[in-house]
Amino acid sequence: MVLNPQQEEFRERVALRQEGGVTAGAPVRQTSLWKDAWHRYRANKAALIAAALFIVLLLYVTLAPILSPYDPYAVDFAQAYLPISWSHPLGTDQYGRDLFTRVALGGRVSIGIGFAATIAIMGIGIVYGSVSGFLGGRVDNALMRFLDALYGLPYLPFAIIVTQLFQTVNFWVMVIALTIASWFTAARVVRGQIMSLKENDYVRAAHAVGARWYRVLGRHLLPNTLGVLIVFVFLELPGVILGEAFLSFIGLGINPPQASWGSLAQDGRDVYLSHPSMILIPSIAIAWLILCAFFIADGLRDALDPRTRET
Amino acid sequence: MALLEVRDLRTYFATREGDVKAVDGVSFDVESGKTLSIVGESGCGKSVTALSIMGLIPKPPARIVSGSISFEGKDLTELKESELENLRGNEIAMIFQDPMTSLNPTLTIGTQITESLRRHLGLSSEEAKKRAVELLEEVRIPRAQNRLNDYPHRYSGGMRQRVMIAIALSCNPKLLIADEPTTALDVTVQAGVLDLLEELREEHQMAIILITHDMGVVAEAADDVVVMYAGQVVEQASALELFDNPEHPYTEALLGALPSLEGESGRQARLISIPGRPPDLLDPPSACRFAPRCPYANLEDYCTVEQPELRELRPGHWVRSAHPAGERAAVTV
Repeated sequence: MVLNPQQEEFRERVALRQEGGVTAGAPVRQTSLWKDAWHRYRANKAALIAAALFIVLLLYVTLAPILSPYDPYAVDFAQAYLPISWSHPLGTDQYGRDLFTRVALGGRVSIGIGFAATIAIMGIGIVYGSVSGFLGGRVDNALMRFLDALYGLPYLPFAIIVTQLFQTVNFWVMVIALTIASWFTAARVVRGQIMSLKENDYVRAAHAVGARWYRVLGRHLLPNTLGVLIVFVFLELPGVILGEAFLSFIGLGINPPQASWGSLAQDGRDVYLSHPSMILIPSIAIAWLILCAFFIADGLRDALDPRTRET
Repeated sequence: MALLEVRDLRTYFATREGDVKAVDGVSFDVESGKTLSIVGESGCGKSVTALSIMGLIPKPPARIVSGSISFEGKDLTELKESELENLRGNEIAMIFQDPMTSLNPTLTIGTQITESLRRHLGLSSEEAKKRAVELLEEVRIPRAQNRLNDYPHRYSGGMRQRVMIAIALSCNPKLLIADEPTTALDVTVQAGVLDLLEELREEHQMAIILITHDMGVVAEAADDVVVMYAGQVVEQASALELFDNPEHPYTEALLGALPSLEGESGRQARLISIPGRPPDLLDPPSACRFAPRCPYANLEDYCTVEQPELRELRPGHWVRSAHPAGERAAVTV
């Protein structure tokens, strides 16, 4: 009798089992949703490159000021407007400060404000939206009509008013200014997610084992919105960073001598004909960050959406 | 006193056009350790009855208008939400129709089994995990220890339903409500799940309310049967009695609509369907709700004007019809 390889393999397995060795069947490969998500994210080359470039940018803004031999705030007019060279990779500004160091410091401020404001927006949005969506009925109606009224408020004038209310504009004032009229969409997104998720059978099943409301909301509903929220963070981030850059560019941003990419671009505006690199470099940095964020958001959306699961 | 006594339960859904009377005066008893099956077609109020017992009807729009649900002497309709929460999953557990959507995709199987254990029995995380493995073994999930940290998408439909059963059993409930537990499963898997339920019922001495539209499932598992039609109980008897002597024309028609595999005539014959549709529960007729589809009702009968009461034809066999099979024969002969 001739056995084909498949039959032989089966025979071996049966023999093994009868000896009391291995249990039947192939071993179960342990995996998790996050591993699957990473697997899918990796397949998206553009998102992968964007993530790498994003990490390079983060490394630059954290490490460059530490390693730099120059004092970012020391004024030395003899060194003003130096061109790009080995000792000054991005040249110097009108006060003779090294731009390679200044742009990194500005990046810390821009990215820091961007993330802090985005997290604040998400925080308010999650609390407001999940309460509204989870309770439903009259509470939801009241909260949503209030939100509709707020929606009419333009975001920039509000941000400008906030910056004017404080004596000095520091990091946290900028965060408040950028958050105050920007969290409405986040609240709506979260509410919509909660509304549709709470109709799921597993939510009813959770109620059926006697879970209390905070457990249902915190353990069964919010983790299911996580994928959407992570994508939303990377979609929201560019808007917030642009807003910060815009406010700084028109002179309403963080106070000097601290700088952000927006105020660095503002410095370069006066000399854009004679020293174009001064406005180009912060602009490229802003564009770099925003493009990375968009591509990462795109990759994450595909990776975290269970409907695109094909592994 | 029975474990669960439902008396004249009325659950209405408020809509723009008025109240939809989904459950309209339902009464039945569930004895401890017995299986009661509730049968009926879609929309007859089986599930709403179950959800009313659990206190899980969506309020609003639904509300319990009147009636009582007495569980071990406590009226569940009068308990506060927090008291109901302590009961749910602990004394009364429920499994749902679709195992594919009844487990949370973002939590591991282990987390979902231990949820109820930690909530009601106050077990520590370690103890709960040990108990969860035992439960999974009890519902015959192979290599339970290894599969505790798996997410639900790695489980098949039948395995998920067995996980749901494990969750329901975790606190040794006195009453298990199974809302069409086998409808979403393959026939072979169905039989396995029903056998498992039957075995666990004996082991744990719990009562089961088995909601189904499948007479085959009733035959497999039920001690007593309640047949529902348009929000009302139309016939109630022990399973044997019901299959031997169906009295209500609706029950007869349900049994007649089953395919038969035996006999040449059975294989040749077409399936008999029931003409017409159930009445609109927004404004149900004052007459017998089955009258428009009943082959025996005619205009001279009182049942086309007013509703027949539920009456006891034989000890333990109740029927709501002016033309039960037993009386029909007597008249025509």
